[in-house]
Amino acid sequence: MTTLVLDDLRKSYSRAGPAALHGLSLTVASGSLTALLGPSGSGKTTTMKLIAGLIAADSGDIRLGDRSIRDLPPERRGVAMVFQNPLLFPHLTVAGNVGFGLRMRGLPPTRIDASVAEMLDRVRLGDLAQRKPAQLSGGQAQRAALARALILRPEVLLLDEPLSSLDPALRDEMRLLIRTLQRETGITTIVVTHDQAEAVALADRIALLLEGRLVQDDTPQAFYARPATTAVARFFGGVNFIPGTVRDAVFDCAIGPLALPQGLPQGPGLLTIRPESLRLGPGPNLRAAQIVAVDFLGSLTRIDLALDGVALQAMVTPDTARGLSVGARISVSFPPEALWILPH
Amino acid sequence: MTDRTRIALLLAPALLVLAGLFLTGLGLTLLRSFRYLPGLGLTEPDLAAYAAVLTAPGFLRSLALSLWIATASTVIAAVLALAAALLLRQTFPGRTLIAFLVQLNLTIPHIVGAIGILYLVSQSGSFARLAHAAGLISAPAEFPILTHDPYAIGIILLYVWKELPFITLILLANLQTLGEDHEAVARSLGASRWQAFRHVLLPMVLPGLATASALVFAFAFGAYEVPLVLGAHAPKALPVLAWQAWTDTDLASRSEAMAMAVVIAVVGLALLALVARGLRLGGQDAR
Repeated sequence: MTTLVLDDLRKSYSRAGPAALHGLSLTVASGSLTALLGPSGSGKTTTMKLIAGLIAADSGDIRLGDRSIRDLPPERRGVAMVFQNPLLFPHLTVAGNVGFGLRMRGLPPTRIDASVAEMLDRVRLGDLAQRKPAQLSGGQAQRAALARALILRPEVLLLDEPLSSLDPALRDEMRLLIRTLQRETGITTIVVTHDQAEAVALADRIALLLEGRLVQDDTPQAFYARPATTAVARFFGGVNFIPGTVRDAVFDCAIGPLALPQGLPQGPGLLTIRPESLRLGPGPNLRAAQIVAVDFLGSLTRIDLALDGVALQAMVTPDTARGLSVGARISVSFPPEALWILPH
Repeated sequence: MTDRTRIALLLAPALLVLAGLFLTGLGLTLLRSFRYLPGLGLTEPDLAAYAAVLTAPGFLRSLALSLWIATASTVIAAVLALAAALLLRQTFPGRTLIAFLVQLNLTIPHIVGAIGILYLVSQSGSFARLAHAAGLISAPAEFPILTHDPYAIGIILLYVWKELPFITLILLANLQTLGEDHEAVARSLGASRWQAFRHVLLPMVLPGLATASALVFAFAFGAYEVPLVLGAHAPKALPVLAWQAWTDTDLASRSEAMAMAVVIAVVGLALLALVARGLRLGGQDAR
């Protein structure tokens, strides 16, 4: 088992400055693909470097299975890291780069050559083995960098923004390749990203870091349906927030009482509903709203609404939006199962 | 104006200086080394000067001494510069001051440095007197002979002191461009600190190190003023022989001076060509 446990990790880069990590605790299940998500400066890369052993933690522990790896040098941790840029070694060929780690372990050349050939085929670089890194495209270089780490069969694979240096067209391809290789090898993998859509599309689980703190560790679906805080909801595109009070299964607020599902925390709170869950037309919790703006965004259309002085936003398909015009009054409904209460 | 004409015009001043001074000088040197001196009534070029120079009794020893001086000072300076550059790219208190001190002696002329060495490490110099005062040696004359010595220690000392910051600066610029990410990758792929240096960083800085070292070698091999001040009476470094032949009252020996200058230039150019070739091959073969 290679469950990775981060236990109350703290790190400051300077005594005077703010801490980069304020006591991060996170358990990454063996064989899972976890996204470490957060805006820039949230401590994602710091966390990766701590796990890889490239910087030292001020306090806290890092465990792989039941052994602490906190004080081991990087080369003895069983952790391989792929950086944002491919960082291939320019003086080595593609094959030389991919075989690098095995050579450092002192494996015989014939075994290295066989492993390298097999690995290059898996990332579809077989015919570029003798190229120099300067002769590769961005996507090819990133695949070579991935192969260079995967060939070592590390216990933990760290990928730091592996898609951000690629063209949009190449991202889907690379995302699919990472997903496939991770499932095939079963290597415990952490992907750092600032892009919530990328995290959702790639990972089994998402750990969201905001300002050096873990705010939620959950399935991708849960970040949409049950965000832990307003900040989490906002990070995932939440825009509708209505203050009020929960009493039994009813929410009292400026737009009148709304029926809620059972089991939500009682007392004051902030009601939220995803813009794509707000329904235009009749249904439960029916209200009348005025259209403030209609913006065509391609596959979806954004409708800005005013409802008794509360600003709301709905995302609907262009078909649903057809015929809607600014200033018109329409009926809006709030499906109870789509409502969620945030601490206020 | 097309791009090409603009580039040509912008380059013209530099090219003019290069062609006008360097190539003309080189051409004249070559002509004179072949004893083509119409002013002296010599209009039939021949190889007599080369024959005289190459068969002169002390020539081989002088050539060997110059090669020794250039090789030893380049190797020592390169190794020390690599260590200094690796140290200076890190951040630590006092780094700026040390970096400044390292660069300071770039501004000091070679000849001034040579005289400084003379004052410091000759048998009548400061170190000898300090060692005597401290009771380490019973007389200043017992201080090891480091100037005008057959192993050219004083000369090598001066070149190392003078060229070390030059190579360090080039390496430092090189290292700062590369950053430390490649080493971090190597470490995370299982390379020890030494392996990351040996298999990743060193090959990446080698082109810069080789080029800087070749320049230092060519200079140490061809410059005459330092061996003139700090060198032994015999054998003399090759550039000193050339200088003496050039200043000889016998005008005929000027051709020999030119022949020696050509030999020095050919050795220097051959070395640069070898380094360039090595870098090209290294770029192709490595895996």
